[in-house]
Amino acid sequence: MNERFSDASDEELGRRLRAELPRYVAPARLHAAIVEAAAPAPPRRSAWLAAAFAAGATALVLVLAFVPLLPRILPADPAQRLMRSVVAEHERALMWGARRPEAIPTALPWLTQESGIGLTRVFGGDDRLAFRGAEPVYLEGRRGIALHYRDADGHLVTYMVLPAPALPLPDRQRVQVERWKPALMYDNGFLAWVWKHGDLACFLVSDMVSEAELETFKDYFVRVRTATEPVPAY
Amino acid sequence: MPQSEFERLALEHIDALYNFAVYLTRNPPEADDLVQETYLRAFRFADRFTPGTHLRAWLFQILRNTFLTFYRVRERESAIADDGVPDWDVPMFHDAPEDSSSVMEAHTDLERALRRLPEEFRTVLLLAEVEGMPLEEVARVMECPVGTVKSRIFRAKERLRALLRDYKR
Repeated sequence: MNERFSDASDEELGRRLRAELPRYVAPARLHAAIVEAAAPAPPRRSAWLAAAFAAGATALVLVLAFVPLLPRILPADPAQRLMRSVVAEHERALMWGARRPEAIPTALPWLTQESGIGLTRVFGGDDRLAFRGAEPVYLEGRRGIALHYRDADGHLVTYMVLPAPALPLPDRQRVQVERWKPALMYDNGFLAWVWKHGDLACFLVSDMVSEAELETFKDYFVRVRTATEPVPAY
Repeated sequence: MPQSEFERLALEHIDALYNFAVYLTRNPPEADDLVQETYLRAFRFADRFTPGTHLRAWLFQILRNTFLTFYRVRERESAIADDGVPDWDVPMFHDAPEDSSSVMEAHTDLERALRRLPEEFRTVLLLAEVEGMPLEEVARVMECPVGTVKSRIFRAKERLRALLRDYKR
């Protein structure tokens, strides 16, 4: 064979190269690998997007968890600011009850001593509002007194008195209720009747915020306002 | 030309490219890598292909250039044997298995002689004689004038005859 190749003409050598050299065929897996590699990659989500999404979700959860603990922006209006503290105290009583409920009238001397506020007359409850207890409170640097009632529908109604000689009541929010004109103030889901009694600020707070409940709440105001007479004790 | 159509036409030449790659590398796993790399490059730069020209020549050109690129890298990095022939046991692609057992044995004197030819002689014979490629296409693959291709074919055959005569002795 070598003799034949060594002496072959150019054409003969070329023909022998085509005929004698083994021909290698591409394996099927190579074809498949190329097709697979050439296939367009699925749209990739940016790597940072998942991280940003996770970070955002975590931040949102943290914010939601700590929102109740964040300091709230204090209102500029002193009446509204005091109203906020009163509502917070009412919320506390609503959730946990009075810290040290006292019965009226046996505890009146002690309450007066603790709060600096005397009650010459006090609403001790009736068929609509049941007296639950009384306690001294300390709000916005003022000592005061809180009386808690619960009505037949289960609403907690808190009457609170605090010394506030210079507290102005917002005129726009004042409502005529029989012969009185208290302010009807709203804060954080609670309504309160607010009025002045000399140098004292009086609040009657409840969660009765609907239109139907407002008339009942107005009635409660009349009952408490008529029967209660707070005075500075000292 | 749509990319999918281009890929389909290109893959029609996979057997010819693989055969050429085996004779260039003498190593089927490396031939696999070389052909795959060739196609990936071709697909990536499909927009550079001029429709109407010879796709087969363009693919062979990419394959040869890819081979020479890695061959030169390997020549620089690997030891040269005493006879001046590069150490073929070193894988052409760095991630190829370093397994000398995959290097193919030559079965005939003709195959053995072909392997001993310099790359540019081996390539012209494989393209022109084995693949039956027109000289113009061979010239394009090898990026040289047609006259140079003719000259290389003549000299390659002369060298091949001489090697075969040596084997006969």
